[in-house]
Amino acid sequence: MLLDVQDLTIDIPTASGVLHAVQGISFSVDEGETLCIVGESGCGKSLTALAVMDLLPRRAIRAATSLAFSGRDLRGLSREAMNRLRGDRIAMIFQEPMTSLNPVFTIGDQMIDVLRQHRKVSRREARDRAVYLLDKVGISSPEARLAQYPHQLSGGLRQRVMIAMALMCDPKLILADEPTTALDVTIQAELLRLLMALQQEFGMGLVLITHDLGIVSRMADKVAVMYAGQIVESGTAETIFNDPLHPYTQGLMACLPAPERQRMQHLKAIPGAVPALVGAIEGCRFRGRCAHAQPVCERDVALREPAGAHPYRCVLPAETSRDNARAVLGAGA
Amino acid sequence: MLRFVLRRSGSALILMVVVSFVAFMLIFAAGDPAVKLAGEAGSAADAARIRAFYGFDQPIYLQFLHWIGAALHGNLGHSLYFDQPVSAILFDRLGTTLLLGLVSFIFALAISLPLGIAAARWQNTWIDRTALIVAVIGQAMPTFWFALLLVVMFSVIWPILPTSGSETWRHFIMPSVVLGYFAAPAIMRLTRSGMILALETDYVRTARALGIAPRKVLLKYALRNAVIPVVSVSAAQFGYMLAGSVVVESVFAINGAGRLAWESILRSDLPTVQALVLCFSLIYVILTFVADVLNAWLDPRMRLADARA
Repeated sequence: MLLDVQDLTIDIPTASGVLHAVQGISFSVDEGETLCIVGESGCGKSLTALAVMDLLPRRAIRAATSLAFSGRDLRGLSREAMNRLRGDRIAMIFQEPMTSLNPVFTIGDQMIDVLRQHRKVSRREARDRAVYLLDKVGISSPEARLAQYPHQLSGGLRQRVMIAMALMCDPKLILADEPTTALDVTIQAELLRLLMALQQEFGMGLVLITHDLGIVSRMADKVAVMYAGQIVESGTAETIFNDPLHPYTQGLMACLPAPERQRMQHLKAIPGAVPALVGAIEGCRFRGRCAHAQPVCERDVALREPAGAHPYRCVLPAETSRDNARAVLGAGA
Repeated sequence: MLRFVLRRSGSALILMVVVSFVAFMLIFAAGDPAVKLAGEAGSAADAARIRAFYGFDQPIYLQFLHWIGAALHGNLGHSLYFDQPVSAILFDRLGTTLLLGLVSFIFALAISLPLGIAAARWQNTWIDRTALIVAVIGQAMPTFWFALLLVVMFSVIWPILPTSGSETWRHFIMPSVVLGYFAAPAIMRLTRSGMILALETDYVRTARALGIAPRKVLLKYALRNAVIPVVSVSAAQFGYMLAGSVVVESVFAINGAGRLAWESILRSDLPTVQALVLCFSLIYVILTFVADVLNAWLDPRMRLADARA
């Protein structure tokens, strides 16, 4: 197992009480595998990635029963040891290509710094590696690009540079937090294909964080659906898409503009908003927006895995859920 | 970059012409100079003779051209008090003041930059609060009072430094500390706020996520961005320090341009005042120019935006 996270909790003390941003989530990724964490903004998916990187805001409190990378426990790691791991064995790509590169240094300078931070190589060798990777991520005339500054590149190019930078040390795991959200749709598809190709070539594990089920369907081997700080459903991409059991997952899919569904049909939306996660919270987090909410949903619901189904966090029996799915998504689901 | 420097030197040149004109006009701001020179006992005929002798009867633009032409040849007129060419007294005094300014400036940077960076790095800790106290005291304390305090401390109670004069480097220690401490707070607070902003940016997060050593993140990735506004303010502070040198040079009896300016104003030695205003203004214009060039070198966006414009 490349990355194994068990029962991860993130609490953030605020003026109005403790914000329970992430409440005991578990997931794992293997080499060459893509895990997609899906959810809407504020569900804790970005914080989850930052928690793995140990880059949470200073006041956030992280806890987990297991947080292991290649069998190494990350929880007890010193700051220096964690820093050696970051950028070398685990790399991260962020959502904002326009602001994620340092404006006052050249692309080359920033890329070379990453490799020379982790390896004893000459500037020359680091430069060669940067050229090789810029070429790999599909940037033309990479030699010339090295001398350019971020503001001279488009958003799409900058995100390619970010990817190349993350690959400088040949990492085993990439955490990508909404890497294409800020980009044009056409560039999105290209970049995702690139990310997938690179992942295959280098055999990396990939944790892709997104709110876009369309991306999930193209990229994921495994899916974890997050809602309000919890995983509400998880499984292989196939089972999630063919057999969505949680009302939230079903709702997300109903929101997807599907070509096979009627053209003129209105795009759907899930009514209501994500609950506040400050202070004591009880019961199913989704019940306020759920069409199937019952009195029993007032009590906490566990993530369960009944026979013949994958893990999901709902009181409804799998069969009832499947009936609902057919009603919501049509006969095809 | 070369284009940027050329463009900026062009605008600096225009600024210099404007400034020198204002400096020239000073002589008329204080009333009719001929009457003043003739003295209280002087007759109207004396004034007329003086007017003709100094060329005050000519049109102002001609006088200005004459004056600036002479100034360009190093002739800044004749001092009314010393009975010497102004240039003969000025350059020696200016050298002393610039030396004092430079040493003070280095002292100011030496305390404000490290303190500003440390205050940002350890924000809201005792380090930050100590730096704040140091800054507030520096900002609030009048220079002459701080100067006297130092004299009492290090020349009277514990006599290790000379009280006045400008003969050796030891004479420059206390004046430089006073002037430097006067300039340091603004630079320090700006460094601190710039660093705090920079440390919260996405690109610093990227550097951390890629395992760049914390020291390098702080002193390369964040500082290079934070220091850009500091450069402009530092240049302005250097200018304020030259102004402050009037007070400090008086307290420590340093024969500098600041003291000369103050004395010349008291003596109504207008050609000298004129020349001093011109020199100080030119220094200020040059400082601004250097700050602009330095900023363009630090920030590629500024360089290229200017080239495109």
